Amino acid sequence: MENLLEKIATCIEFGKINKAAPFPPDMKGEDGADELTQQAIEKGIAPGEILSNGLMPGMERVGVKFRENKVFVPQVLMSAKAMSAAMLHLKPFFATGAAGRKGTFIIGTVEGDLHDIGKNLVAMMVEGNGYEVIDLGTDVKAEKFIETAEKYPNSVIGLSALLTTTMANMEKIVKSVKERNADRKVCIGGAPVNQDFCDKIGADSYNPDPQGVVEFLNTLAS
Amino acid sequence: MKSVKPEHFRFNISDLDIATSDIEKMARIGDEMPSYDDFLLYELDLLNNNTKIEGGYIIQPGQIISDEIHINNHIFKAGKEVTHFLRKMNHAAIFICTAGKEVSERARQLNNEGHLLEAYLLDVLGSVIVEQAMDKMQNIIKNRLYEKGLKITNRYSPGYCEWNVIDQQLLFSFFPNDFCNVTLTESCLMQPAKTVSGIIGAGQEVTFHKHVCHLCNSINCIYRNTLERKN
Repeated sequence: MENLLEKIATCIEFGKINKAAPFPPDMKGEDGADELTQQAIEKGIAPGEILSNGLMPGMERVGVKFRENKVFVPQVLMSAKAMSAAMLHLKPFFATGAAGRKGTFIIGTVEGDLHDIGKNLVAMMVEGNGYEVIDLGTDVKAEKFIETAEKYPNSVIGLSALLTTTMANMEKIVKSVKERNADRKVCIGGAPVNQDFCDKIGADSYNPDPQGVVEFLNTLAS
Repeated sequence: MKSVKPEHFRFNISDLDIATSDIEKMARIGDEMPSYDDFLLYELDLLNNNTKIEGGYIIQPGQIISDEIHINNHIFKAGKEVTHFLRKMNHAAIFICTAGKEVSERARQLNNEGHLLEAYLLDVLGSVIVEQAMDKMQNIIKNRLYEKGLKITNRYSPGYCEWNVIDQQLLFSFFPNDFCNVTLTESCLMQPAKTVSGIIGAGQEVTFHKHVCHLCNSINCIYRNTLERKN
């Protein structure tokens, strides 16, 4: 069983989607995340276990490599695609409650900013690590974050910005969220943001990379 | 303000000298990954038939006062960093240039179909299209001003450094409504997304810099990545 889960983790890490996929070249012709996940279900491995001990470690490894500049956006997207192929087998079980999620994460690029590549990477990585992700898209106002968060009482909000000038909107959103519910956790990220800014605006966590967001959420979930 | 008619240009994909290998490099498609050359050629061909790449500019007298750009009694609060590079200008070319909506729509479609990497490549392609078109237009502006004895600066845009995107409203007031089919959202973002706007300074003593990455804090910019790997 461990061997099968490890194989799934390897497929996710290296973006091996299915047997037909030519990438990565050294895994050509081998079963991918798609087939191996199906096999794991057929062997009776619990969906939650496949997620926790197969898919999530794979995404974690690619997240760490991305942080360390050992891989770039395309490789992470390949991993996300492999993850999606595996999740197609698991989603019916999640829908019936046969496997739990670790929490809910609401993410969006702040008002005044349309950049979404970084935000999408965080969303994929967080989802790949066992959380439900609600992606509000780009150019999102404070009211939308608050309204969505109220539907998911223990959810955590993630704010992304690329433009220096939209950092002010990030501050405005954090303030509005905290005024409404001081206990709501908000994490921030994006090129112009840093820990000092995070401290200044009263956000709960700053992370320079997607894996950092996962680690922050894990501390809250544990 | 709108009585000055902007110069308007249309570009074809084939005008823009886009190499698919450059798109792959900018997107950081690794050597071990499959080639996306055929995919990109196919997409370029599709876009060549249906996308509207266009732009325009107007030239007005203008100057820097303190940290502001003053053009026709309009004041752009561009901030210290941007105005430092424009400080000797006595004219300004105000520009808008767009790759059209089709490239972003196609990226969205691919993303929704689960083709994440292909969608990312389209996003990069959209950025390259608009920047290449803008390079062409900048060259036209440069040549036109050169005839008048003026040199140009690099181009600078609201949203970068300390220049707030709210100044897009002011910038757009120099153009007719829906010029090049570009509109502003309530929060001053341009639609289509793959659009650039900004100001190029002009004057006898202004300086053009080869690149200005040190001005920008975007660590994942495709252009910065490309430059860093060349150095």
